[in-house]
Parts: sequence; C-alpha cells; structure tokens
Amino acid sequence: MKIRLVTDSTADIPADLLTKHKIEVVPALLIIDGESYADGEGITREEFYARMPTMQAPATTAAPSVGSFMERYEKLLSAGAEKVLSIHAASTLSGIFNAARLAAENFGERVQVFDSKQLSLGCGFQVLSAAEAIAKGTAIGEITHLLENLQKKLKLVAVLDTLEFLRRSGRVSWTKARLGSFLNLKPLIELVDGRVENLGAVRTTRLANIRILEMLREVGNLEELVILHTNAEERARQFLANFTSNLPAPPRVINVTTAIGAHLGPNGVGFAAVRK
Amino acid sequence: MSDELAAARAKRVAEMQNLPFDGQAYKRLVEAGLTWLRTNQQTVNALNVFPVPDGDTGTNMVLTMQSAYNEIKDLGHHKVSDMAAGVAQGALMGARGNSGVILSQIWRGVARGLEGEEVLTGANLAKAFADARDTAYKGVVRPVEGTILTVTKDIAIAAEAALEETDEPITILEKLVAAADASVEYTPELLPVLKQAGVVDSGGMGLYLILEGMLRYIYGEPLDTPTMTVQPMAALEFEEAMDSVEEGQDWEVVVDFYPENELELKPFYDALEEMGTSIQVGEGDGMYRMHIHVPLENRYLPIDYIMGLGTITNIAMENLLAQMDELNKNSEKDRLELTNIEPGEIAIVTVSPGPGISRIFASLGVAAIVEGGQTMNPSTQELLAAFENLPTDKVIILPNNKNIILAAQAAKEVTVKEVHVVPSRTVPQGLAAMLMHNPEGDTEKVAAKMIKSLDDVRTGEVTTATRTVEIDGVNVETGQVIALLDGKLVLAATTVEEACLSLLKKANIEDYELITMFVGADYARSEANRVADIVQEKYPDQEVEMQDGGQPHYQLIIAIE
Repeated sequence: MKIRLVTDSTADIPADLLTKHKIEVVPALLIIDGESYADGEGITREEFYARMPTMQAPATTAAPSVGSFMERYEKLLSAGAEKVLSIHAASTLSGIFNAARLAAENFGERVQVFDSKQLSLGCGFQVLSAAEAIAKGTAIGEITHLLENLQKKLKLVAVLDTLEFLRRSGRVSWTKARLGSFLNLKPLIELVDGRVENLGAVRTTRLANIRILEMLREVGNLEELVILHTNAEERARQFLANFTSNLPAPPRVINVTTAIGAHLGPNGVGFAAVRK
Repeated sequence: MSDELAAARAKRVAEMQNLPFDGQAYKRLVEAGLTWLRTNQQTVNALNVFPVPDGDTGTNMVLTMQSAYNEIKDLGHHKVSDMAAGVAQGALMGARGNSGVILSQIWRGVARGLEGEEVLTGANLAKAFADARDTAYKGVVRPVEGTILTVTKDIAIAAEAALEETDEPITILEKLVAAADASVEYTPELLPVLKQAGVVDSGGMGLYLILEGMLRYIYGEPLDTPTMTVQPMAALEFEEAMDSVEEGQDWEVVVDFYPENELELKPFYDALEEMGTSIQVGEGDGMYRMHIHVPLENRYLPIDYIMGLGTITNIAMENLLAQMDELNKNSEKDRLELTNIEPGEIAIVTVSPGPGISRIFASLGVAAIVEGGQTMNPSTQELLAAFENLPTDKVIILPNNKNIILAAQAAKEVTVKEVHVVPSRTVPQGLAAMLMHNPEGDTEKVAAKMIKSLDDVRTGEVTTATRTVEIDGVNVETGQVIALLDGKLVLAATTVEEACLSLLKKANIEDYELITMFVGADYARSEANRVADIVQEKYPDQEVEMQDGGQPHYQLIIAIE
C-alpha cells in the first residue's frame, strides 16, 4: 500500500530529509505588521528574528487554511497515494491540527490526521519515524501506535531569553502566576503531552547553558538529538561544544521556525531528543 | 559589699531557704531571669562579632524568654516539673534567632531533668543542667565551643561538682552563676573570632544574665536597673519608637553632642523625662545622640538644655504625625499579592527584610512572607503561623538569613505538615532557590533542586560599621562603609560607591554576567542610581539591574550571577 506523509512547517524537518522521504509540508502563516507570509517563504528565519525587535506590533501566527490542506491531500491521492497520514503540531497549542482534521473529513478513511502533541522536531521526529516505518511496509494502524510509543521517549526542552513573548502568546497559564514581572527571568520550559510546562528559571546565559546541558544528560542514552535555537546559532554551538553523546554523527543545529519563534522570542536554546 | 548589705542578703537567703522551691517559685525565678535579661538587653546586643546591624542576640533571647514566661504566667501548678515543661514549650514556640533556639533547647533539657519532680533540689538542679547540656549540643548540627553551648556545659560541670559539698539549691545556684560568669569570660580563648573582635560570646552572656537575674531575685536585689544605661549608637531604634507616638508628643527631636564634662546620666534622664517621652540615648566614640518625642511647644527645650551640657553637632526635628501619614500611605502602596495555594501544592514561606524584596518574592509565587532579617529574626511561632493555616501540608521555608535557619528547623519539628528548610543565608540565595520552585512537584525533589541552586549566586552586602574592630584582617572604624561577600567581611571604605566597586572587584565580577542591586530603605534612590551608572560604566560587559529592596541598615544587597 502506498502511504504518503503530510506535515506542517512547524515540524522543522530539514529540507534534505523532506526530499529524501517525500514528505509534503503545508506552511503555517506568519503575520508581521499586517502582512501575511507563508512560513519559510518571503522572509527568512534570520531576517524575521532580526526584524523582531523593531516590529510595530508583535508578530502573530495563523494555521494554514482548511482549503490548503484539502488541496494537498487531493494532489497526493490523485497522484496515486492510497492513504495519507497527516502529522501535526500539538492540537492544544495550535489550530493546525484542527484545520487538517476538518480538511480530512472530506476524504473519509483515506486521510488520517495524527496529533503529535509536540512542536518543532518533537513533531518532526515522529514524522521521520513514520517515514521509516512506511519504507518498511508497516501498516498505518501500526504506525500511529509506534508514534504514540515514540512520544513517551521524546524530550523537548528550551531556555528562553525572556518570558515576554510566551506571556504575550497567551499559550501558557503559569506566566502570571509564577514568574512575575519584577526580575528579568529566562524561563526553562518543557513540552509535555501538548502542554508547555515550566521547569523554573535562570537569570544568566551561563546558568541557562548549564541547566540545558544537565537536562540533556538526564535523558541518558540517545537515539536522536537536534539542538534547537531561535536565531542563536553561536550560543547553540557553544553549548554543544560541552556535550559528548553516544550518537554516531554530531547533532544538527536548527534555527526554529518563525511560526514557533514568534511565541518564544529570539536567543532561546534547547533540544529535542529521543531516548533509546 | 558593705556589712549592711551582706547582712540583708543573708537574711533574705535564709527566708528563701525556708520556702519550698516549687512550681510557683520556679515561675518567679524565670520571671526574674527574663526581667534581668531584658534590663541588660542592649549590653548583650552590643556583643556583636561583626560590626554590622545583625540578628541581635539580646533581643532574640528576651523574646524567647518572654514567650517562655507567657506560657506559665497564669499557671497555678505547684509541681516544679509542670512549670518547667511549660517554660520549655513556650521557649520552643517563641524561639528567635540561633541563640533563641539553643536557649529553648536548654529549657527543654531542664524540663526533662526535672520530670516528675515536686520541688527544686540541688540534685535535680544538677541533673536538669546535665540534661540541658546534652539537649543543647544535640540541637546544633556542628557545635562550636566558645558559645552558649560551652557555658551550658561549664554550668553542668559546676553543678555536679557542687553537689559533693551540698544539696542546697540556692548555694548550687550561686555556684552555677559563678561558673557561667567565668565561662563567659573565657569564651574569647576558645573562639578566635570573639578574641579578634574583643567581645565575649553574646549568647553565653545572655544565659549568664538569666541565671544571675534568678540569683538577684533570691538576694532581693533590684532587677530593673541596668548595668549600663547608655546604648551603643547602633542599638538605637528610632523607627520602633514610631509605634508608640503618644497623644500630643508629636515632634521627634534628635540631638548629637559632645558633652563638656563626663555626662551624668541620672540628672540627664530626669531632665529629659520632664520634657517628653520615648527617650533613647546612645554613645559612640565620645559622641552622644539623644532622641525624644515632645509636644509642639516643647520642641526647643531639649536643644536648649543640651546646649548647656556641651557642643551640639547636629539637630534633627520632625513632625511625627506627618511621618506617620507617610508610613501609612506607603503600607497601602505595598500591599502584596501572594499566591493562593491549592491543597496538595507546595507552599513557599519566605523571610523578607524589606517591602521591595517582599514584592519580588510575591511575584515569584511565594505563599507567605514573614517580615524579618538581620535585625529582627522571626520566631519559630511566627514562621509556624505563616504556614499552619495554608490549605496544604507541603511547605518549604526560605530563611534567607543565617540566624533564622535554626528557627525554621524548629518550626519543622513542631508541625505535622511536611516541611523542608532550604537553608538560604541571603536574599539573593533565596531568590535563586525560588526560581527553581515547582508548586506541583514532589516536595523533597523540589527542595533538593532549590538547595542545589543556592550556589548559583554570590551575595554582596554593603552597610555601615557599628563598631571599631578588626575582623578577618580588615580594620574597620565605626561609621565606615563595609562590604561583605558571601557573609564574610572583605573591606572597609569611606563611601558606598567605593565599597561597592571594591566588592565587585573582590568577587571577580568579570567572570559573571549579572549584577542586581537591591537598594535599602535608608539609601537614596538617586545615589543608588549614580553608583549603578558608575558600575555599569566600569563593567560594560556585565548587566546591571536595580531593584527597590527596602531593607533596613543595608544600603545595598547585591546579587552576583
């Protein structure tokens, strides 16, 4: 059976892997000073973060339209795919999953939408794992079962440079309750089961790096690892220099998509890892 | 001693010996100990090793004894054991500061030694102090000699030795007091910091005064005339006097002067009492400071009077009612938003020395704040009261001061709630720990994380020296600005600016990123701004942040991260 994969731009899967596994990407939308951009098109990640401090109003994001998902599914099915598996950013944090779900309703059994309950490579690793399973001829029911197991072995953590963007995004409830506005804090966050949890905070980049490294070591034996950052490549590499892993190749360092970055702010670092 | 006085004393002792030393007698002894200690409170407070306004041992011990006495003052028991148990309970609940906590352990040991006893005898008194010694040593993680512990030990040894000669309790008490006196005098030989500072141990001195007070009561000697009537300058507490502004006495006058001849205190006080209330007199390096509250029409009287005694160097006069209004307005502004804790969540209880610092702690999600710090160590009871009524059984306490850690641990002992003490010694440490708080986590794990984070930050403190002394190789003169780094005195300077810059240099500030200055209540914000600008200019790679701390006595508390 021929199964094709669809995801969205927030999964942060590098272009070479998208091509290799023939993964279709629907871009999320980015709205900057009234103008709408497809994520990854029209404005580069570097440009976006560079412009961030001078934007008149904070950038916002929007899910792709139901129509854009329908078009994509239609295209794949008419090109010979028997089934489409559409894997997306956590439904608790973004409307992308819901847009895909509504689009899929028009295709019955042929399109299945799956909630990764993750963001960035936390979702991306699930998509890539699905691609490998498809290559081995695994049945679609089996694949979603595999992904649910994978979710339990995923860890996605980050330390943000400021709480400001996350607070404004309204996506977490603890910003007001705990990390009040008197001190400049760099919050430590973890994405668990579609929720952004707070692991505390630090006040310096030195300590931020130490904390992230501690958490990475706590993961233990690694199956997969990418280092994530929001336009802070130098910092990400610096922090990576202090880390040795059991992995065969050095991990990729990825500038997180602007659709997520708009809610985190620049100069954050973190990682997405899969435990063996 | 004159023959006359000796005869009077002997007569009184003979009378006392005929009375049973039962529970009621024990109560009067405790009251006498408390009164005598209170009379000499400032003397004990002045025995500060560091020349900083610190957790005042005398005040802490008085408050602890007061709580002990309150517990028994209305009890009608005749058994000495019942009364001793009451004293132990009251002392435990009211314990403040390290010395207060150890004192409460002493009373606990005494109660244990007197268990089941009807009246005091020489034998059970000796046993009581043997138990007191054992309990006191156990109450401290790392016992240090040359402190109240040593004094307790020497008392126990003296009591045991005295038993070989007599079983008469008054004679034994006399021996105890003599042993305590000698022991206190010897403390500088055992503890180098005392010798260096030229003082005896304050806690030991407090214990000696309590016992001496008991003996003075037996001798029929007055308990309300202090051995020293003039306080050291640093001990003056004008703000406390604000609490007691009487009707009509609404002007505050403070006069600094050098008396021409030696100041005769009795006529001086008598004259001042004619003019007003809330009189306090302090002395330092020959200069006297007089504080008084007077009615409007009398406000020049104290000045005219003192002008006749010597040279006035400074006069301050303020309308107290206007000041009170200002205070009330401020307290309105400073209302805190504390986090509401749900059942099952971990509540953080923190000690804060100032309103600004309280506000920051509140913004980080603490459930309760107990006011206190360097000069005012909250009691076990106050810490307990802060969390007993919270709707959760999980509590973490941040004492934020080395003198409050023991009281926090004592609070943990007397509650059924699961309490962990994260031994933060400074405000910056408490804030660092607070950043690792997770209200929904496992209490033990959260506490462990918080403890680990205490080393994430270094603490600088800038204050004014209250004594002339040499400590840790630093020569300090009264009135100089001094700086402490992680609790250790590192330098003396003439200005806050100079102290601050030298402190940062000593801390190797180039290795750090962030300097947060918490500005004290008595330090002008504009001045703090100026110092912050200079620091920023000198260290452009470090971020300098300023926060309103509102703490007393310390111009700056500095977090270095």
